[in-house]
Formats: sequence, C-alpha cells, structure tokens
Amino acid sequence: MHTRGLSVVSVALAAVLAGATAQAGTLKVCADPDYLPFSDRAGQGFENEVAQAVAKYLGEDVEYTWGSYRADSSFDEFLANTLNARRCDVVMNLPYGSGEAFTTHPYYVSSYVFVFSRSKRYDLSSMDSPILRDVKVGFEQDTPPETGLKLRGLVERAIAFDVGEHDKESPRAMLDAVRSGEVDVMITWEPAVGSFLPDYPDLKVVPIPNERTLGSPERYSFPMSMAVRFDDRELAERIDAVIRDHGDEIKEILKHHGVALYRPSGVLGGAGEM
Amino acid sequence: MEQVMNGSIQFTPARAMAALCALAASASLPVFADDTLVNMSQDPAQWVMPGGDYGVNRFSKLDQINTTNVQDLRVAWTMSTGTLRGQEGQPLVVGDMMYFESSYPNYIYAINLNNIGQMVWKYTPTQDNFAPSIACCDLVNRGLAYADGKILADTLDGQVLALDAKTGALLWKAKNVDPELGQSMTSAPLVVHGHVMVGVSGGEYGVRGYLTAYDLQTGQSQWRAYSTGPDESMLIDPDKTIDGATQQPVGVDSSLKTWKGDEWKLGGGTTWGWYSYDPTLNLLYYGTGNPGTWDPTQRPGDNKWAMTIFARNPDTGRAAWVYQMTPHDGWDYDGVNENILADLTVDGQTMPGLVHFDRNGFAYVLDRRNGKLLAAHKYDPTVNWASTIDMQTGRPQVNPDKMTRVGINVKGICPASEGDKDQQPVSFDPQTNLFYAPLNHICMDYQAFAVKYKAGFPYVGAIVNMYPASGGNRGRFIAFDPLTGNTRWEIADTFQDWGGALTTAGGVAFYGTLDGWFRAVDANTGKILYQFHAPSGIIGNPITFMHDGKQYVAVLTGVGGWAAIGLAAGLTNPTAGLGAVGLTSSLNDRTNLGGTLMVFSLG
Repeated sequence: MHTRGLSVVSVALAAVLAGATAQAGTLKVCADPDYLPFSDRAGQGFENEVAQAVAKYLGEDVEYTWGSYRADSSFDEFLANTLNARRCDVVMNLPYGSGEAFTTHPYYVSSYVFVFSRSKRYDLSSMDSPILRDVKVGFEQDTPPETGLKLRGLVERAIAFDVGEHDKESPRAMLDAVRSGEVDVMITWEPAVGSFLPDYPDLKVVPIPNERTLGSPERYSFPMSMAVRFDDRELAERIDAVIRDHGDEIKEILKHHGVALYRPSGVLGGAGEM
Repeated sequence: MEQVMNGSIQFTPARAMAALCALAASASLPVFADDTLVNMSQDPAQWVMPGGDYGVNRFSKLDQINTTNVQDLRVAWTMSTGTLRGQEGQPLVVGDMMYFESSYPNYIYAINLNNIGQMVWKYTPTQDNFAPSIACCDLVNRGLAYADGKILADTLDGQVLALDAKTGALLWKAKNVDPELGQSMTSAPLVVHGHVMVGVSGGEYGVRGYLTAYDLQTGQSQWRAYSTGPDESMLIDPDKTIDGATQQPVGVDSSLKTWKGDEWKLGGGTTWGWYSYDPTLNLLYYGTGNPGTWDPTQRPGDNKWAMTIFARNPDTGRAAWVYQMTPHDGWDYDGVNENILADLTVDGQTMPGLVHFDRNGFAYVLDRRNGKLLAAHKYDPTVNWASTIDMQTGRPQVNPDKMTRVGINVKGICPASEGDKDQQPVSFDPQTNLFYAPLNHICMDYQAFAVKYKAGFPYVGAIVNMYPASGGNRGRFIAFDPLTGNTRWEIADTFQDWGGALTTAGGVAFYGTLDGWFRAVDANTGKILYQFHAPSGIIGNPITFMHDGKQYVAVLTGVGGWAAIGLAAGLTNPTAGLGAVGLTSSLNDRTNLGGTLMVFSLG
C-alpha cells in the first residue's frame, strides 16, 4: 500500500529526531470527528472522554488530529494518514496485540453480543444455540460472527451490515434493524452500540462466549488497548502507568458510556480446552 | 485467602445422624501422612485419585472380571448427575464411599456404597453468576481429589474447595484465577505431600498460565509457577533446571529469549490437563498449553515454555527439568496431555520412563529423571505436520508445507487442532506392556489471521475446517508400543473416542465411545467382548473397585455440548476426495445430552 511506504520513510526520518515527537504538555490524539459512540468533534464519544482522562493523569492537554476511521474504507488508511504520518501520537482503541501499531496494556475487555427483542425470549447463549437457525440474523461484515455463521452454514441466510466501513452510517442502524423487525437477532461488538442501548430498553443483550465447538477457535471477546507508533515506547510506557494507576477510573468512564466490560469464560472443554 | 463458608449441603435426617457419628469418630483418628495416599492408591479395591495412582496408569490389579466372564457384565446401578452438560473425569472410591463432581454447576456427590439410592451429601458450590449468563459450549470437570479425610474440587469459576469427606462441610476455599482475564478451571486437582496442585484453563487471549500449590489443611497458597516469562516467575533455576532436549541447563532467560518483546505476557501455557507424581524422585509432572495467540507470525521464536512437559519439586515448585514438544506452535497442539509414569525396558535395562501421547500425534518416551528423549513415534500414521522428532535435538522436523501463516489457507494438516489425542487419558497395562489409547483421527485446513481492527470492530482468529483423516473414521482405540511405534491392534470408531481408558489384570480394557457404547475389549487381541449402549455419549474415564467382595466398573456418561453440537453441524469436507464412509453420520442422530453415572458388575 503506497501510504504504508510513505509512513515507513517518515518513521526512519523521525528516528533521527528522537524525542522530538512528543511535545511536552500535550497529548496528541488521533480520532474520528464523526463516529459515535467512539468519538466526535464535540467530545461526546467514550474515546474522547478516556483521552481527556489519560491526558489529565499525564498532566497534559489534549489536542486532536481528526481523521475518518471509515472513509476510504480502512482503519489502516486512517493510521497511515494520522498516527504514522506523525500528525498525532495515540489512538484510543485498538485490539491488544494488533500488529498495526504498538498497543499499550489493555484497559478493558468487551465482547461481541446478540441483541434481540426482550419479548421474543429467545434461548440464546452461544453461536451454537439452535434458535439461530430459525430466526433472521444480522451481523457486521468481516467480523468474527461472520466466520461463526459461515462455519455453521448460516451466513447465506443472514443479513450483512457494514457500519465499520461506511462513514455515514451510525451503529444505531443495527439496533433499529432489530426494532423494525428487519432482523430478529443482531450480532455486533457491544461497545459499538452500548451508548445507544438506553434508548432501546426493549432490547436484550447477551454476550457470545469464545468457543471451539467446531474445532475452529472462535474468539468473540477482545482486550482493547490504546496504541502508539512502534518507535514511541516512551509514550506507551507513560500510558501504561496511567492504565495501571487509574484503570478503575477509566473503566468507570466506559461503563458510563454503556460499554459493557465482559469477563468471558472462554471455557472450551472437551474438544478443546485449547 | 478467603475462608468463606458458602455453598449448600443437603442432608437427609437419617444421614445427618450418621454423619455426626462419623464426625465424632474421625476426630479421634490421626492425621494421615502423605504415605497413606500412596498406600491407598495401591489398594485395588479403591480408586482414590483421578488416574488411579500417582503414575496415572489407570490399571487395576482386580481380575474378578476377566476375559472369560466379562460378556456377562450387566448394569448394577445408575444415578443421574443432575446436569446435561458433558461429563468428563471419573468418580473416586474411598472405602465404602464414592464421590464425583458433575459438569457445571459442579455438584459434588457423596454416595454410600452400602446404601445405594441415597446420597450421603451433595454440595453445590456458590459460583459467580457470569458463568451461566455466558454459558459456553462445554462446562466439564475432570474430577475430584481425596486426601486426609477431605475432598478437593475445583469449580468452573476458579475456586478450589476443600470439603469434609464425611459431611460435605466446606473447610476452606481459595480463588485461583482472575475472572477478569477469562480464566477458568476444569482440571482434577492432585494432592502431593499436603499440597493441593491445581492449574488454570481458558483465557483465549493467552494470558500466562500457571500451576499453584495450596496447603491441604489451610488453603494458603504456597507457590505458583508460571509457564512463560522471567525465570523467577517460572521457578526455574537457569543453572540447575535441565532442558531435557539438550540435557544442559536452560540458562538465563530461557523463556524471554524465545519471545518477541512483551508477547510472553500473552504467553498462554495453560495447565488444565492431568498431573502425575513420582514419590521416589519427588517430582510432579504436567504439561503446558499453547502459546496464546493463534497466529504464529505474531510471535516468532520457540515460545518457551508453552507446549512443554515440566518436572517440578512439589514442595518448592522449582523446576528440575523441562522438555518442549512443539516449538513455535502453529496448530494449537496443547501440551497438556497426561504424563504416564511407567518403568520401561530400554536396551535391556529397566528405567523410570514417562510416556506422553501428545496432541501433535507423537508418543514421547522420556527418562523421567532428566527429561531425556528416548523415543517419539507417530501414534497415528497420518500425522504430517512433522516427519519425525529428531532424537539428537528433541525438536520436530516440521513440514514447511504444513506450517500455518497469516492469510494462507494451509490444507490437509494432520492432526487437526484437537490432536490425535486430547485430554482423554490413556491406560498402561504392565501385563501386556502396551498403552491403550482412545484417539481422534481428524485432519484440518487452517488459515491464520492477525488481530485486526475494522473501525469499531476487532477481529482475530484462525479458520479451521476439520474432517476425518483417511479411512473416514474420526476415532480409534489402539494398543500401542511407544518404544517401537508399533500398533498391536486398532478399533476404528465413527466418532472421536473422547473418553478415557482403563485396563485390568483380568485382561480387559474398558472405554466408551462418543455415541454411547461402553465397551470391554480383550487387551491382547482387541476383540470387543461386551458393549452396552448408555443413555448418552461417553467422554468420562472408567474406574474399577471392589465392594462387598464384588468387582464393579463405573463410568460417567453424558456427551459434551461441544461434541453433540459441533458434530451435529457435520464434519464434511468441502472439497471432494475423502472417503464417504462415516461422513454422512451425524452424532445428533446417535445420541443426546444427559448425565448418568453407570456402574457395572457381573451379577
């Protein structure tokens, strides 16, 4: 990807200017100006509030560099144009262990969930629940639930959403689809919809457990971190210290925004405690 | 440690009186020395530890039931486990009492064999509510331990419990896992020298595994040894702990040097398998699981000490030796299978051996004093991820075509991630000198992915398509010589043989099939002498014991949710070319969920 190439060059140059990247006193955050519940220009997203808190604990101000996570269809592009172009120094959400940037210690764990109308009383507890075969299922394209549905021969009948690649769509659309009956069960990443759930009290949320019933490892819960450039260990360490010392406060912010912090059982017994 | 008296105990009024009397009686008995447990395990009338004895041989000296009369075996009595989920593990028999733990919610039962039909006590652990709300595929438990008048159990949500064996009263409990990190517990504890050894499982994002020892009397944590990371956290001595493969000390930072950056923190190496112990050498043996992330390209290096057999001093936890079986794992071949301690004759000399049928399809034979590799043959001829294990280096010769990597669908890897054998335990019969192994026979296509982020949506994983290996049967029960690699005989089964084996001096081997056949097999010839169709598929391990002069064989039946549902989806190969035999069979056509303890005898 040509932008990748550019950022590699700029990283090499920047290595010469070691230490000059982080301006004392300012936490330079890369974020989307219009992607609630994650972030927006008005500071209403949970990434905004976490960034604010982290900066406060670092004794710094926040300065944003805005870029769309979704326009031009790829988060990789966003990273190339912002973080790796050295226009800002930290992104607030990246799965722990992601190879695309250097992740901090995780600061929360959440999960993909089933969302459905409470009144339907579906007996849903995992991707193996038989009811999934009998209802209209919606899912976000190119995510683990798609693979899970594919493995079970259910994907062809299911309805694909693509909120993560269309910058005009709000994840609210996934909840509206359940309410309207377009789908009976929506499978989505909980933090993408958590903030909106209070507006949908008729909807029930059930976390999807990691499993291995079909042999294939299926992971639905992820620890999430902040991330910096690969050469910016110093900032990563400072943020790790904040996460270590103020992790509970940060979790409170997430909970306040409706992000559900899950403790997946991840038990795989039988076929695979793997 | 918490010392909370929680949980519920049920008494029937008559039993309450008896229990009080028993309590009074036991108060005057001396505290048992650890030798007693060894002695008790040598008494064939009882079955006092999960593997029968500390060497997990699962062999009984009883021969009242034998090849001449086993065809007359019949069901003596049964009991529902009270749960529907898969029943792994085995009951214990101590004196006239039988104890077993069900799958979640982990009911613990005490049955008086003199009075079948009445439970002396039943204990229901109080567990964290998250377990049912995210009820997963299979919530198994691999069994209880007994020592010094106490029953030791672990629960799904990570508690270690000590109960009074006579009354079921909770004596202490300890929290062994961090639920925030998604860990849980399913293994059977092992009690050695007054230490209760327990492991951890789960944590799909590869949080470091560890083994912990708790004080049998108080529940205080005594030591904890991690599987990866800094030397001291692993209780490894760089100058003293031997690498079995090289017979040299492991050296400083033996784990850290084999990981990139901080990846060892996600280093996996969980410890949920079986534990064995040699009282003469005073060494505890167990294996560690896979190194965390499913994408091997994210973690270059050998990833020590995941996929490793550890030998530790049970009193201090310090590692005497280590031997890694699958460096830089790309297939999820967890190394947690049991380590059977058997004295073997190698080159005319009897030596203290350790035999380990690994998930990766090789049956390792090590000298259990120092971890030196003596033999490693494939126990399934279809194994193809590696051609051999190099006897000089102890390392597999990996077939580069079968190494998994990001973005590439690697086809036809044998065995599949479940391995040619998973946790279902093998039995060693010293009369035939053979190992009786219930096995899987499955291959896979495997495509690994890195952890990715689609704006607002995390993604990671590997896609695995599994299908039967050549022959079409997904399971095998074999009599195998690990020193020569020779299979004496084989029974091909439609589904994976996911329950354990038992052998007896009567010349009979017992095992159960996934679709519910409980079988007695002639250990010499492999001929099926008796079989009974149980209410549900069998993933438990048979035991045998005496009561009132009569020999019994007992097994927990109850197919796992994973197996029933997973196989119901059909293990069909999307590409043509594999034999059609068995491909159209679905486990759902053959069995249902349902937990029942079955006890058999001759008359």
